[in-house]
Amino acid sequence: MRIDNAYFTRRKFLNSLLGGWLGAVAATFITPIVKFVWPPYKEPDEVKLVFADFSGMKPGEVKNFAWGVKPGILKRAADGSFIAMVGVCTHLDCNVTWQPDKKQFFCACHEGYYDEEGKNVAGPPPKPLRRLEASVEGEDLFVRKPGAGAKA
Amino acid sequence: MRAPRILFWLVTAALVLGPLAAAAQQAGTPPEAKDKAQVEAAAAPAAPAQEAKPAPAPPAAKKPAPKAEVKRTEPIVPAYTGIKEKTAVIVFFVWLWFAIGVLIYFLRQWIKESDRIYWAKYYEPEESPRKDNPMAPTLGD
Amino acid sequence: MKIKIDMKKFAAWFDDRLALTPIFKYMTHKEVPQHEHSFWYYTGSSILLFLAIQIVTGIMLALYYQPTLEGATASIERIMTELPLGWLVRSVHSWGATFMIAFVMVHLLAIWFTKSYRKPREATWMTGMMLLVVSMMFGFTGYLLPWDDLSLAATKVGTNIPVAIPVVGKWVTQFLRGGDDVTGDTLTRFFIFHVCVMPLILFAILAIHVLLVQKEGMSIPLKDELAKKKVPSLPFWPNFVLREVVIWLVLFGVFMTIALAFAPSLGPTADLLAPAPEGVKPEWYFLFLFQTLKIFPANMGPVTGEFVAVLIIVITIVIIFFLPFIDNKPEGKKGKIFQYLGIIGVIYAIVFSIWSLL
Repeated sequence: MRIDNAYFTRRKFLNSLLGGWLGAVAATFITPIVKFVWPPYKEPDEVKLVFADFSGMKPGEVKNFAWGVKPGILKRAADGSFIAMVGVCTHLDCNVTWQPDKKQFFCACHEGYYDEEGKNVAGPPPKPLRRLEASVEGEDLFVRKPGAGAKA
Repeated sequence: MRAPRILFWLVTAALVLGPLAAAAQQAGTPPEAKDKAQVEAAAAPAAPAQEAKPAPAPPAAKKPAPKAEVKRTEPIVPAYTGIKEKTAVIVFFVWLWFAIGVLIYFLRQWIKESDRIYWAKYYEPEESPRKDNPMAPTLGD
Repeated sequence: MKIKIDMKKFAAWFDDRLALTPIFKYMTHKEVPQHEHSFWYYTGSSILLFLAIQIVTGIMLALYYQPTLEGATASIERIMTELPLGWLVRSVHSWGATFMIAFVMVHLLAIWFTKSYRKPREATWMTGMMLLVVSMMFGFTGYLLPWDDLSLAATKVGTNIPVAIPVVGKWVTQFLRGGDDVTGDTLTRFFIFHVCVMPLILFAILAIHVLLVQKEGMSIPLKDELAKKKVPSLPFWPNFVLREVVIWLVLFGVFMTIALAFAPSLGPTADLLAPAPEGVKPEWYFLFLFQTLKIFPANMGPVTGEFVAVLIIVITIVIIFFLPFIDNKPEGKKGKIFQYLGIIGVIYAIVFSIWSLL
């Protein structure tokens, strides 16, 4: 059916066809470029440590381990089990340090303080230190993300 | 006519979603490195269980003892990790040429139109053969 | 609340301050002559297409590449194996170099055989020659960056050539290598040349080259000019640009196909103390020069064969650089001689390239 004096001319139709198609083509080329430029860095799901390195820890003692590229904190509880935390301040991602005399974690960047359980007690940090699960399996000490469950 | 417009949108939708689906399938499976003699972990994007040594009091995790400088002696040849990746590349290749074909089709139409306009001196009404025609369309169409 | 954006007002605001409208008006009036050789007009913009591809993929690679002795080849391994489609980005960049230099040579030959370098386009030719040298330097510096055994050997040979130049040769080599030998310093130096110094030089010369092309207009074949024939022409925008886009699309398709199918591999890590590997050769665009060097005997009287070869090559390049002034009567017999010299040059380059591979 021919429409006389249409506002949407043939030229506009052709232009929009080409433009729309070009847009589709561009999108499928931009996607791999974006994927390349923004690759995801994943934290490890679990880290295997040698238990012998930590078995001599006294209750209340704190040691570090490598959680991917972040510092991990292992603390021996009074009953001999391990508490594991990610030693990264929840305020702006600085690494925290353990002050054994005051039994607290201290973040030097903005003076944030966490108690020995990792709970934020003073300063800007909004949340406690992130917890991880630690379990001893034979000769190995596994540290996992909470909820990951023990793997066989 | 309505039919070509519907057809156009259907085809465009299929051709946009198709390669996106193929790309999603292919996500993160790069070609394998064949025959690498190296101490470091192989290049899998999944997180392997790592051997980590404990560090003394400083909060920053200290790297383990410096790794032995073992040089790679075998070449890395790009190869497909599986049939999925190979299929994704073939799909991309076919879609690439189809998209180019469609674009060239549209461009040829556009070239013909712009040539026609040029030869008909559309933008120079004084020199155009339609200069005496009061019904001739003007600029601003 | 609807906000209406009036594009005309935007344009007027810019024009008020930048006064670019005369430039746009000039560009819309640019015309491209149509004759039997007008197909070669596409070669120039094809080079720009591949340059753009190289810049984009180059930036993407440079995000992850580490230009140090320890990190270079490992980072490329990572790009090729870990990063999504990293092998494809590297393949596109590697093949893009080949295609770009190939088109630079095609463009050079097209200008040579149509004699488009004649007056008033001498400066365009000379800047073009400089761009040729810059492109080949891009290729040379980029070739070392993977730091595998072949590229190390090729760079050692390549940076040794200036030694043959008297007086300054040694200093040139030391400048290129960052010392007397190829070391990790060379790698870092080549990286900065490739990524910072040469792009700046390239853009400066390219800007002059493109501006000259716009100012002088497109050249027409010699015989049409002599006959003062009025050659029909098409407007650059939009007619010629649309045709260019078609050519770009086809080239892009062919290029992507080759990059997908023939992704380059990465050789073993370079070892500064190991002997040169078998089959060391430079990139294809240097092969004929490589072979020219090889055919000269080690000693020719009081000088080395290498010195004579380098001398001949440099003299030839200088002659070609000043070609518009040497071939100043293109319509005469001299002009015909240069046509034949061009053909001989092409045959020489092809024969010597193939010979060096045997």
